[in-house]
Amino acid sequence: MTDLLSNFTSLSKKQLAELDGTCGWSLSALELAEVQRQFRGMGRQPSRGELETIAQTWSEHCKHKTFSGPVAFRAGGRVKKYKNLFKETIVRATRKLNKKWCLSVFTDNAGIVQFGKSGKWGLAFKAETHNHPCAVEPYGGAETGVGGVIRDILGVGLGAKPVLNTDSFCFGYPDSKKKLPGNSHPPERIMRGVVEGVRDYGNRMGIPTAAGGIYFDDGYLLNPLVYVGCAGLIPVEKIAKKVMPGDLIVSIGGRTGRDGIHGATFSSANIEEDTSASAVQIGHAINEKKTLDVLMRARDLGLYNAVTDCGAGGFSSAIGELGSQTGARVRLENAQLKDSLIEPWEIWVSESQERMILSVPKARLAGLEAILKAESCDYCVLGTFPGNGRLLVTHGAAKVVDLPMAFLHGGVPNFEKPARRRKVKISAKKPARPAKSYGRILKAMLAHPNVCSRHSVINQYDHEVQGGTVIKPMQGKYGDGPGDAAVIWPQAATLDLSDFSGFAVSHGFNPAAGKLDPYQMALHSVDEAVRNLLCVGAEISRTAILDNFCAASPRDPEVMGDLVLAAEGCHDAAMAYGAPFISGKDSFYNQAKDAGGNEYPIPISLLISATAPVEDIRKAITMNFKEAGSSVYLAGVIRGGMGGSVYNDMAACGNNFISPLDMKAAVRLYTGVLKAIKSGCVPAAHDVSQGGLAVTLAEMAFSGGFGAEIDLCDAKREDGLTPLELLFGESPARLVLEVVPGKEHEFLKLVRGLPVSKIGCVRDSLVLEVRDAGARLFREDLSQLKKSWKRELI
Amino acid sequence: MIIEIWTKERYAKNEEAAFLARLARAGLKADAARLSRLYRVEADFSEAEYSRIKSGLLTDKITELSSLAPRKTALKKAYRVEVWLKDSVTDVVGESVKEAVAHVVGRLPEAVRFGRAYYVSCASGLKLKEAVSKTLVNEVVNKFKIGKTKTGR
Repeated sequence: MTDLLSNFTSLSKKQLAELDGTCGWSLSALELAEVQRQFRGMGRQPSRGELETIAQTWSEHCKHKTFSGPVAFRAGGRVKKYKNLFKETIVRATRKLNKKWCLSVFTDNAGIVQFGKSGKWGLAFKAETHNHPCAVEPYGGAETGVGGVIRDILGVGLGAKPVLNTDSFCFGYPDSKKKLPGNSHPPERIMRGVVEGVRDYGNRMGIPTAAGGIYFDDGYLLNPLVYVGCAGLIPVEKIAKKVMPGDLIVSIGGRTGRDGIHGATFSSANIEEDTSASAVQIGHAINEKKTLDVLMRARDLGLYNAVTDCGAGGFSSAIGELGSQTGARVRLENAQLKDSLIEPWEIWVSESQERMILSVPKARLAGLEAILKAESCDYCVLGTFPGNGRLLVTHGAAKVVDLPMAFLHGGVPNFEKPARRRKVKISAKKPARPAKSYGRILKAMLAHPNVCSRHSVINQYDHEVQGGTVIKPMQGKYGDGPGDAAVIWPQAATLDLSDFSGFAVSHGFNPAAGKLDPYQMALHSVDEAVRNLLCVGAEISRTAILDNFCAASPRDPEVMGDLVLAAEGCHDAAMAYGAPFISGKDSFYNQAKDAGGNEYPIPISLLISATAPVEDIRKAITMNFKEAGSSVYLAGVIRGGMGGSVYNDMAACGNNFISPLDMKAAVRLYTGVLKAIKSGCVPAAHDVSQGGLAVTLAEMAFSGGFGAEIDLCDAKREDGLTPLELLFGESPARLVLEVVPGKEHEFLKLVRGLPVSKIGCVRDSLVLEVRDAGARLFREDLSQLKKSWKRELI
Repeated sequence: MIIEIWTKERYAKNEEAAFLARLARAGLKADAARLSRLYRVEADFSEAEYSRIKSGLLTDKITELSSLAPRKTALKKAYRVEVWLKDSVTDVVGESVKEAVAHVVGRLPEAVRFGRAYYVSCASGLKLKEAVSKTLVNEVVNKFKIGKTKTGR
């Protein structure tokens, strides 16, 4: 390899590819040729450190080349060209909406929106994925995923205080009887490791983990998806940051070791059997807690001008990012190490955890050092930001990197990726009549891994720490009902016990729909996230959303086609709901090969995380029935189509049509429903999503300890629907509402002209009975329904 | 020196039942199991100092028992599975204990590593190995060994 490195500028394409494979850079032939061309121009050979820096900086993980690159999308006979897919869809919607309450979008480590009535605070929100590390080492991968997204919040502006963690996972079915591919962990084992990793890191950091979800599909057998999110509060005057020439580069937090070498480039490659453990970072929550405590104290004293986290690419990315305008002069011999055998270039790219980089004025270093020592937090001064626009990294007398920043950040070549619409056969015929009774189907549905209780996972997380979790993940009379969204009162950050402003966080996720129609998947996901916020009484006209795309290899034009359609869906949904995207992330190459060479690509997966203000957290509502005698209303129209439903996963019914979402009608409906919730007419609301209307009713009933008598004869619906579609269809934009008996008249006035219909009453008897025009569809004991639902996932 | 800590039998039923269920899901029907935590302390300490670390720092005397030698169980036909993180993998628990040991003894040990020992009563060592690979260890980051146990209390 040394020979190849010392003759880099004269290597053939084959030799370049060989070198790339040996070093694990994951650069394309085009990129390698560009690097070669640049160094030929400089008249010298690159050092290993320089090539490593370029590989990290140009990696998919850091540069998002696929989403930000040009795409030619072919559908039918038409071709639509994008110069930058991300800017022309996601960013475009945010720019067009131009909401004044968006304080920082797409420019920093997280998006920031206004929070509270005082105008003093911003809410930072970010979600990340840590898929590849979790496929190799689930516990460490998940732990460091959580640690990483918390550092994004610590590194936004001059640092926000984390007040909520979120987690959403995708695994293969845990009870799969299928023979697993040679180099895969069993899904149950991955799930256990991931859950324990999220639990240990979040709990030890003292941040509540209170929102999220788990989704199962055998498409995730070899490539689990681990989405982790974090929200934090930041004073508005601490959002701006700027590195000043002459500032010192100070690394605080963990020490640097060989863990996590090549994490960024590893994320840009398919997982193969010989994937190395060195790409997995190891987490140390207590070190990060010390870092958090130092940052909050130093921020308030104004001891630094800028901060960012060491994530993928380690020092190379963090210092490169902060010094992109000023340049950076780094002396690696000053780094605090935990491994004495580490090479200088390894120090530069190591992704050891819990490190933050600060830009510190020389005169303030002593003040910062005093806090660091008081908190027993490791630190080192690595160099300066000189202001000459050049990156110079040395270790003693040896030069590790000497490159112009302009080449590093602007030199990455990009090429047009072909995309085409996937051909999927859609059938909208009447669903086949089921062999089982509807009651038995409902019980099977409630026990389905994508519907059943998550208590064995949720109960491992501390969702109470900081004392601000108002609406918790498990709700209802017995504290075990499935909540739609979490509501947080961040008084631990604002220290203002007289301001009852809070915020809600929810998610929308529907890869089953994405297999059939990625555009509708995106609409449904945004709709579900907004509806979930509505279910707790959040101000949905102030919804801000995050997009997290995960896909298989973008070298496949159909995968790119899925991405284009989903991104267009995101744009259209954001415009319709008036909900800007404020941050997001994409993860590609979620595709693995087993020992036999078979490819396992994941389905296109889009997690929408949404947040909206809750004006008064004391008025937030939960999903369980509250009182016998209340009326039960269905808001929204029942439409046909069993595509992407849980029922179809259990027993294909011959209909895989996805019901298209009427977004304008949905927004009108939700605006009316929110008015009704705010007026105190609605004590309980729950969305109709996975499992359909029957599951929603069952969950509201057994979580509240009340039965219900339902007749769907007056429910707004399309003509000619079968009972199967009525009960288990998953058409979007629907909620079930409980309405207080004495306030029904007021409620009906508030929702006049909207598709809201009375479908029954809450009863004392512990039975759920559903009829359609008098004909009984099922009558089931709540205890039996709950027993089916409350299975142990872990 | 390896210090072994385990929960007294009267308090250990839950963790043992959960462990047996985990093995069952991995395809091994075991009759009984016992679980221990292991701390490998690498230092030039005297026997008395190790005893102080064991009793004064690592053991909760109300619910736990401990030993400086491998634990003896009353299980019949039992195997002992020892699981550690590989030495190249950062051991967060071990690092924290290392600092705590320094506070107790007054000197910093060279290293402390944290591991687990599982005592499993089952018919086949081969099947046990399969189940262990499937559910207890990730060979990317863990190392493990299986041996026969000594009986006794």
